[in-house]
Amino acid sequence: MTEVRKLYDANTDLSSPCGCGRHRTQHEHDHDARNDANSNDAQVLGSQAIESAMVRALFPADGMRRRFLKAVGANTAMAAIASVLPIGAMQALAQDKRPLEKKDLKIGFIPITCATPLILAHPLRYYAAEGLNVEVIKTAGWALIRDKVLNKEYDASHFLAPMPIAITMGVGSNAQPMNVATIQNINGQAITLANKHKNSRDPKQWKGFRFAVPFEFSIHNFLLRYYVAEHGLDPDKDIQIRVVPPPEMVANLRAGNIDGYLGPDPFNQRAVFEEVGFIHLLTKELWDGHPCCSFGAPTAFIKEAPNSFAALFRAVLKGAALARDPKNRKTIAESIAPANYLNQPVSVLEQVLTGRYADGLGNVKNDPSRIDFDPFPWYTMATWILSQMKRWGYIKGDVRWKDLTEQVYLLTDARRHMAALGHKPPAENHKKIIVMGKVFDHNAPDAYVASFAIKRV
Amino acid sequence: MSAESFLIAEALAKKFPGGRGKPDLTVFDDVHFSIEKGEFVCIIGHSGCGKTTILNVLAGLDSATAGNVVMDGREVAGPSLERGVVFQGHALMPWLSAKKNVEFAVRSRWPDKSKKEIDEHCQRYLDLVGLTGSEHKKPSELSGGMKQRVGIARAFAIEPKMLLLDEPFGALDALTRGNIQDELKKICAATHQTVFMITHDVDEAILLSDKIMLMSNGPKARIAEIVVNTLPKERSRETLHKEPHFYAIRNHLVDFLVSRSKRFSEELPAGYDARNPPLVMPGVETQPEPPQPKAEVPHPEKAVVVNFR
Amino acid sequence: MGLKAGALSLVIFLFFLGIWHATTVTPARSGGALTEYEQLMGKSAGKQDGLPTPAQMGSAVKKHLSDPFYDNGPNDKGIGIQLAYSLMRVGAGFLLAALVAIPVGFFIGMSPLLYRALNPFIQVLKPISPLAWMPLALYTIKDSATSSIFVIFICSIWPMLINTAYGVASVRRDWLNVARTLEVGVFRKAFQVVLPAAAPTIMTGMRISMGIAWLVIVAAEMLVGGTGIGYFVWNEWNNLSLTNVIFAILMIGVVGMVLDLMFGVLQKFVTYVE
Repeated sequence: MTEVRKLYDANTDLSSPCGCGRHRTQHEHDHDARNDANSNDAQVLGSQAIESAMVRALFPADGMRRRFLKAVGANTAMAAIASVLPIGAMQALAQDKRPLEKKDLKIGFIPITCATPLILAHPLRYYAAEGLNVEVIKTAGWALIRDKVLNKEYDASHFLAPMPIAITMGVGSNAQPMNVATIQNINGQAITLANKHKNSRDPKQWKGFRFAVPFEFSIHNFLLRYYVAEHGLDPDKDIQIRVVPPPEMVANLRAGNIDGYLGPDPFNQRAVFEEVGFIHLLTKELWDGHPCCSFGAPTAFIKEAPNSFAALFRAVLKGAALARDPKNRKTIAESIAPANYLNQPVSVLEQVLTGRYADGLGNVKNDPSRIDFDPFPWYTMATWILSQMKRWGYIKGDVRWKDLTEQVYLLTDARRHMAALGHKPPAENHKKIIVMGKVFDHNAPDAYVASFAIKRV
Repeated sequence: MSAESFLIAEALAKKFPGGRGKPDLTVFDDVHFSIEKGEFVCIIGHSGCGKTTILNVLAGLDSATAGNVVMDGREVAGPSLERGVVFQGHALMPWLSAKKNVEFAVRSRWPDKSKKEIDEHCQRYLDLVGLTGSEHKKPSELSGGMKQRVGIARAFAIEPKMLLLDEPFGALDALTRGNIQDELKKICAATHQTVFMITHDVDEAILLSDKIMLMSNGPKARIAEIVVNTLPKERSRETLHKEPHFYAIRNHLVDFLVSRSKRFSEELPAGYDARNPPLVMPGVETQPEPPQPKAEVPHPEKAVVVNFR
Repeated sequence: MGLKAGALSLVIFLFFLGIWHATTVTPARSGGALTEYEQLMGKSAGKQDGLPTPAQMGSAVKKHLSDPFYDNGPNDKGIGIQLAYSLMRVGAGFLLAALVAIPVGFFIGMSPLLYRALNPFIQVLKPISPLAWMPLALYTIKDSATSSIFVIFICSIWPMLINTAYGVASVRRDWLNVARTLEVGVFRKAFQVVLPAAAPTIMTGMRISMGIAWLVIVAAEMLVGGTGIGYFVWNEWNNLSLTNVIFAILMIGVVGMVLDLMFGVLQKFVTYVE
C-alpha cells in the first residue's frame, strides 16, 4: 500500500501525466503496470488506480491536494476521503470478477473459541461461496502453526495477534514477512487458578506459582506479565511462566503441574466444568477490547495469490460479522462443538459465547461481552504488542514502531473489505487503549515502556 | 620326497606375533611332507601342535608364515574346488536340507549343469553315504553321524583332487564312527581319492591310512616321524587286531603320543632332519621298498632306538 | 488344557470387569431440580466424571467399531482411517529404514574396519529420543507428514542396523569357509550364506524396530497432529474424554500386538535350528 500512501503524501507531485503519478509518461506507466500484473500484483494496482483516480478527482489542482494533506495529515485525509467515498466498495467491485490464483487452500487453527470466525466460515460455506475449497486443519500448538506456515503447508492461518509481528521480525523463528488480515476475537481469555488456590486471590500471594500461557508471543503472556507486574511481582523471577498448548492446560492443571494459566477459552470454562479450577478474572477486566487471535498469511502468499487472499479475507469477515451477533451465539456453540472443530461439550462453549457462566466458585455470572469478534486490526493494538515485546526484552534496541505496525497489520485492506461487505469499518486507524487503568499513547511507545517499574529494558 | 609327489609341503611354519615385547609364538616350524596320488595320510598329534592349521593351509583357508604347498604342480594360494574339506563340526548350513547342502556345493562346482543333472548327481552321493530317504531333512533333524555323512557327501560330490578331513568323527559315538569309517574306506578305495585326515584316534588311523604322520608337541611342533602302515590294504575293522603288525604299530603310536611326542619337542634328537623325517615301520625289520625316496634314510627301528631311547 | 486356560482367562477378565464396574459406577443423583449453577456445571446431562464404567466403555468401543471409516472432514475421521494413516506412516518410515539399515548393516558386519569407523556415530545417534528429531526435521524437511515418516525412519533404523551388523559379523566361520572352499562368488555368498545365516538376527532387529516405530508414531502424531491414531488420542485428550483415550490405547495395543505377531511369523519362517 506504500504506493497509495504516496497519494496522501504531501511531498509527491501528482501532476504527472500517468494515472499513478509515478511515471513521466503514460507509456511508462503501462509498461510498469504490465510487469506488475505479471508479478501478480494486479489487484493492488487496480485498487490503487481507483483510489488515485478519486483523489485526483477531488483535488484536480495538485497544489490544493498538497495543502490539504499538510493541514490534516495523511492518515486523517485517507480516512476522511474514505468516509465520503465508497473507495473500498468500488475497489471490491472492481476485483470481484478477478480469477482466483489458488482455489484449494489449507488453513490451520487451534481448537479454541477465538478461532470461531474462521471456523464458522467453513460449515456456513462462506469459503465455498467465494469459490474456494478450504480445509480448516486442527493443529496441536502454536509452534506447529508457525512451522507449518513457514513451511507453506498452510496458506493462511489462525495466529495469536503478536505472532505475525514476531515472525516478520524473525524473533523466535526465521524472519519471514507475515500479515494480519483481521483480528479474530477480542477479550475471551481468563486467568484460571486451581481449586486449591481459592483463598489466594491476591496476586501478591502468588510468589512461586507456576503459570501456563499458550505461547511466548501471545497477548496471554503479555497480559499475565503486565498483571503480576502491576501487583509488584517480577514475572521472570517471582513466578514461573511455561508455554503449554491450550488443549493441554486443563490436564496439566488437574495433574498439579501448574497453579493456573492465562489461557484461551473454552479451556478456562472447561476447567470449571471439570471442577479442577475456577475463573479468577476475565482478561476484559484488565483491558476491555484487547485483541487475542488474528487471521493472517505470509506476505508471499498474499503477493502470489492476491485474489484468493481477498476471497479468504471476505469469508472470514463474514464469519466474524455473524459471530458478533449475540443472537447467534447459541447456534454457533452447537456448530463448532463437534469433533471436526473444537471437540468440546456444547454447554461449555455456550457459557463462553453467551457470557452466562459458572465461575467455579459457586456463582453464576453474566457478562455478554466476555468474548467478541471485532475483526478490525487497529494499528494501536500492534504498537502495544510491540511495546510489551520491548518491555520484556524479546526485542532489543530501537523499534520501528510505525513501520512495523503498518507493515504487518493490513488495516486499510480490512477497512476496504469491510466497507465492501457493508460492515461499516471505523474511520480511525488508532483506538484508545487503557490497560489496568493506564492509557497507552501509541505516539510515544518508548516513553510508555520506560514508564514501567518492572521491565527488561 | 620326490619332486613328482602329488602334494608337497615345504618348510611350513606358523608364527603369531607376541604382544608387547614378548617373543613370537611359533606353533610349528620346518614342516616338510609329501603325499602321493591316491594315498590316505593321517596326521596325529596332541592339541596345539597345529594340525588344523596345517590342514587349513593345505585347503588354502589359512596361510603359513613361511613355506609353501604345491599340489599337482601348482602352488596352493587360496581355497579351491580342487580340494574338498570335511569340517570338524560338519559345517552344514542349518537352513538347508541335506540335499540342498550338497546341491549348494555341486552348483558351485558346475554352475552350468541343469537342475536335473545336479539333482541326480547329489542323489548319487547321498546314496553313497547311505542317506537315501533322509535327503529332505534339515540338519537339525539328522543325527550326528548322518550330519557328518552329509558333510562327506558334500566334499566328495564336487569330485575334488584331494580330500581334507579335519577330525571328522571326533564327536560321534563308537558304533556310528565305525560304520562311517567303513564307508569312507570303501569310497576312498573305489575312487582312489587322495586324502589328508586329522585324527586323535590311533585305531582309526591304522584302519584308514597308508601313512601316519606323527607331530611332536607345540610350540615349535614338527613332524617327528612318519609311520608307514604295513598292514594289508584289504583290512577291515573286525579283523584289524588280528593282523600281525597291528599291535606293533599301535603300541608305537600310543607310545609316541604318551611320552615321546613331549620329549621330542624338548630336545631334537641327534641326526633329525626336518626335511626328511624318519620313516618307520613298526614290526618290520627291513626297510620298506616302495615309498623310499632316498638312500640315506636310517633304519627305522634303529632310529627309534637311537633317537628315542 | 487350552480350554481350561481359556476358561480361566475369561474368569479373570470377568473379575476384572466386576472390579472396574464397582469402582467406577456412581450412584444416580437423587431427585430434585438442578440449580442453574449445577446445570452450567453439567450436572444434568450424564456428564462423565473420571473413568468410564465398563458399560460406557463398551458402548464407546461399539460406536467406534461400528463405523470405523467415516470421514467428517479433515479433523474428524473414523478410527479405521486414523489407524490406516498411522500404519502407512509407520510402513513408509520402517521400509525406508530397512532399505538403508540392512545393506549398510551388511557392509558394517562384513568389514571390521567399517564397524570400528562407524561405531562412534552409531553409539551417539542411537540413544537420541526419536521425538527430539522432530523440530529439526520440521525445520529442514519443511513438511510435517514427511517429518513424522523421518522420525519413524530414524528410530527404526538403529535396531535393524545393529542387529544386521551383529548377525552378519557373527555368521559361523565354518559356513564362510565352506563357501570359500567352494569358490563361491561374492553375491552368492552374501545372499545364500550370509543372509540366511544372519536372517534370524536381522528379523529380530526388524521386530524390535517395528515395536519402537509403533510406539513413536503415536507420540509423533500427537505432536504434529492432522491424522493418525496419535492425533486421535490428542484430539480426545483435548476433549478430556477418557473413554475415547482408553479406546485408542486399546486399539494401539491390539494393532501393536498384530504387528508383533506378524513379525513373529516371519521370524519363525527364517529361523533355523542348529
